[in-house]
Amino acid sequence: MPDEILLDVQRLTHVFPLTKKTAVKAVDDVSFQLRRGEIFGLVGESGSGKSTVARCVMNICKPRSGHIFYQGIDTCDPAAFRANRRMLQRTRQLIFQDSGSSLNQRMKVCDIIAEPMKLQRITPPRGSYRAEAMFQMHYVGLDAGYLDKYPTSLSGGQRQRVAIARALAMEPALLVADEPVSSLDVSIQAQIVNLFKHLQKEHGFTFLFIAHDLAMVEFLCDRVGVMYRGRLVEAAPTVELFANPLHGYTQALLSAIPIPDPRRERARRLAGFHGGELPAGGELTEVRPGHYVLREGGSAR
Amino acid sequence: MTSRLVYCGKKVLLFFLSVFLLSAVTFYVSRLAPGDPLVSYYGDRVEKMTPAEREWAEEKLGLSDPISVQYVRWLGNALRGDFGISYKYKMDVAEVIGSRAGNTLLLGGVGFVLIFVGSLLLGALCAWFEDRPLDRIICKIGTVSSCIPEFWLSLVLILIFSVTLRWLPSSGAYSTGGSSGVMDRIVHLILPMSVVVLSHLWYYAYLIRNRVLEEVRADYVLLAKSKGLSRRSVLFRHCLRNAIPAYLSLMAISVPHVLGGTYIVEAVFSYPGLGTLSYESARYQDYNLLMLLCVLSGAVVILCSIIAQAVNERIDPRMRSGESIEAPEVTDL
Amino acid sequence: MSELLEVKNLSVSFFTPEGEVQAVRDVSFSLRAGEVLAVVGESGCGKSVLCKSIMKLLPPAARIKSGSIAVNGADITAYRERDMRKLRGRLFSMVFQDPMTSLDPTMTIGAQIAEAVRVHRPEISKPELHTCVVELMALVGIERPEERMKLYPHNFSGGMRQRSVMAAALAGSPSILFADEPTTALDVTIQAQILDLLRDIQQKLGTATVFVTHDLGVVARVADRVAVMYAGKIVETGTAEEIFYDPRHPYTWGLLRALPALSRGRETLYTIPGMPPTLLDPPRGDAFACRNEYALAIDYEEEPPMFRVTDTHYAATWLLDERAPKITPPVGGGTDA
Repeated sequence: MPDEILLDVQRLTHVFPLTKKTAVKAVDDVSFQLRRGEIFGLVGESGSGKSTVARCVMNICKPRSGHIFYQGIDTCDPAAFRANRRMLQRTRQLIFQDSGSSLNQRMKVCDIIAEPMKLQRITPPRGSYRAEAMFQMHYVGLDAGYLDKYPTSLSGGQRQRVAIARALAMEPALLVADEPVSSLDVSIQAQIVNLFKHLQKEHGFTFLFIAHDLAMVEFLCDRVGVMYRGRLVEAAPTVELFANPLHGYTQALLSAIPIPDPRRERARRLAGFHGGELPAGGELTEVRPGHYVLREGGSAR
Repeated sequence: MTSRLVYCGKKVLLFFLSVFLLSAVTFYVSRLAPGDPLVSYYGDRVEKMTPAEREWAEEKLGLSDPISVQYVRWLGNALRGDFGISYKYKMDVAEVIGSRAGNTLLLGGVGFVLIFVGSLLLGALCAWFEDRPLDRIICKIGTVSSCIPEFWLSLVLILIFSVTLRWLPSSGAYSTGGSSGVMDRIVHLILPMSVVVLSHLWYYAYLIRNRVLEEVRADYVLLAKSKGLSRRSVLFRHCLRNAIPAYLSLMAISVPHVLGGTYIVEAVFSYPGLGTLSYESARYQDYNLLMLLCVLSGAVVILCSIIAQAVNERIDPRMRSGESIEAPEVTDL
Repeated sequence: MSELLEVKNLSVSFFTPEGEVQAVRDVSFSLRAGEVLAVVGESGCGKSVLCKSIMKLLPPAARIKSGSIAVNGADITAYRERDMRKLRGRLFSMVFQDPMTSLDPTMTIGAQIAEAVRVHRPEISKPELHTCVVELMALVGIERPEERMKLYPHNFSGGMRQRSVMAAALAGSPSILFADEPTTALDVTIQAQILDLLRDIQQKLGTATVFVTHDLGVVARVADRVAVMYAGKIVETGTAEEIFYDPRHPYTWGLLRALPALSRGRETLYTIPGMPPTLLDPPRGDAFACRNEYALAIDYEEEPPMFRVTDTHYAATWLLDERAPKITPPVGGGTDA
């Protein structure tokens, strides 16, 4: 079933209270769907709510309103969540941006990778937890010599590989990665993106990839959603979005990708986006097959 | 304005609630301790009492009722300002405490000020001479001295300065019979004060040093330096200033620590203060006296931590949670 | 044109319990007044240490082992903290990577900029200081400076903080501005604005800028000259045109090819194989040899010298030796090629 919907996010809204009187709308009426085996990129600046979406999807935050269906289960419903807790925790995995702080500094690499398996009481298919960790490390391109190292003695790229190995050890159906390459050098970013692409082909997991720029997304994702100030402003297949960006913010993001050509780059004027607050209301409208864009105040073309 | 009133109201309510809970717990626990409160009131006569006389005596002191009834009665009287009489001194407890409080305030208060002025200076000095011999020595002393109990240090000092050298008196707050001038008081204060200060000073200096050095490692120090600021202005205007909120809360939290130390020191030096009094009242089941001492000491501690929190919120702009409404994040560019 | 900054054979090492980490190895470069030099390299290649060692802002564990640093012809290598203080802010100043942590959280933005002004003009009067701060904030593109100078760093967004940091850095009108990855922690749309601001300031005030980054892509927009660093050494240096259109060092090829913009339409991104060597014990010969698909036998034996390509373009690779086989570079010639 290639078109089966694995994750269905419906009208997700999340509000962070600042004080008793004020609150900030981190996610505002966001809907999107992930088909099984698809790589979906969610792009937006810091504070646009993309991480909050990821957290809601992973049940770390409880959304104010809206629903998230994972394999038909409403994960926002506490009763449904409790009934399927083991399955949900096992088949959905999360990778964080800063693997320096998301990996326990006092644990060895092999324990970090094996920990989720131990917690879920999964018998390691390859005999021992250590063998399993070794296999996963090999899989993500890390030498077995790092098995007994601590995260602090690894480089950023290596740590991110450990985080990926840990997530993949659970054979997830859905992998959510919250800015997994943002804190890395460009050359290392390319390595990790290639690794993701390769692993996805092998495992066939569904992948929600979150980034703050479009540069790497082009190579990895099948579809891209662009978020701005808590709203999903545009969503389209990657090729279509890069060829034909419609929303002003998407255009600004695209134009922010630098061209490695001094003469052309200097001659170029950047598309700015002085959005400020988006006008309230507005609906995502389908302008082309699969290409949705936020139209203000329902003034659809 | 109203939000400020609500804020203060909450703090006051919190204070009274804490003191109330403290008094209830102390009341109950003190009665669990073994011993006979009648002994402190009647002395040796208790042994010769007939059971009937005992019953009458307990009735008279209000000790025959269940604990909860006793507590409610005590609380009712206390709210009217009557804390009962001390069994041992046969006086109003407030008067007993009043006559001694000055001594403790002198020892603990002056000691506290000395500790914190001294540790701030020492801490800044250590941060300035980071990893140089002076810094290392102070830190070593700090680690060692924090493990030395006050009573041991007191005994050693008494041994050296009173017994061997005969320079300073070993106990009391003033000489019996002799002159009771200011000099006499000071001479009697030197040893206990030294113990109070010395046993805390180094440790706090060490904490402050680490706190300041943590700030020195922060990125904004690099910016300040690259602006051309001197090391002195960076250290004092940025690092020390930013270490002060932590320092103030440390000060407030350490009030019970220093107070406890003072009590022990008083007991060792037989210094007529609240510490000696607390020790005695607990030993002789002088319930009324013990209650008031505990509630007073507790109130001071709770008050200090509330003040520390309030001061912290004032100093660090990020902690003024209520005010972020007025200055929302400026995101447009 | 006169050389404003001249660094010769500079070596800087960190002395750690594990041993000596040679962060900067025998680096020479010069900076002319008013030009933008980009120093590009992966993290850990010593580019940041290079800037900090010139400003003498290194932690105590680091030491300049050899080499000289000359500013306006005066050798400052042996300068002590007290002498350096007089130069900092006035002669050179620095902007750091993370604007979230490089401002003092308990001081208002205005006070922090004012502080930088007062260091250089202690006699300045209050109203003058105020105008000065407002002017600086306007210079770096902070709108409504009058009201915003009273705000604290946590009220500002990342881009605004980085602008404030720049205002403070420019307060003493320095001749050289070191910008250590000033855009890495920012959003992409803000990054472009900060890059344009850097260029703008360089043109308005004639401040020479040393721009440190790991992203060769952003260099094209701002840099006049580029120095590529690898494992503590400068491996290639030239004008921006030379580096982008006619790169000579295999490492520069690798960096360029790893840029996503040059892999458009391809299935996978190009990556440089392997990992940078540890500077605790740098390998013999060319440090890049084991990751270099064009490596020659001599690369493993002897370090290549700087070969001259043109008067402005030098590269340290044996491929430029006349005996070496001729290789068509896999990149270069701009994006339309």
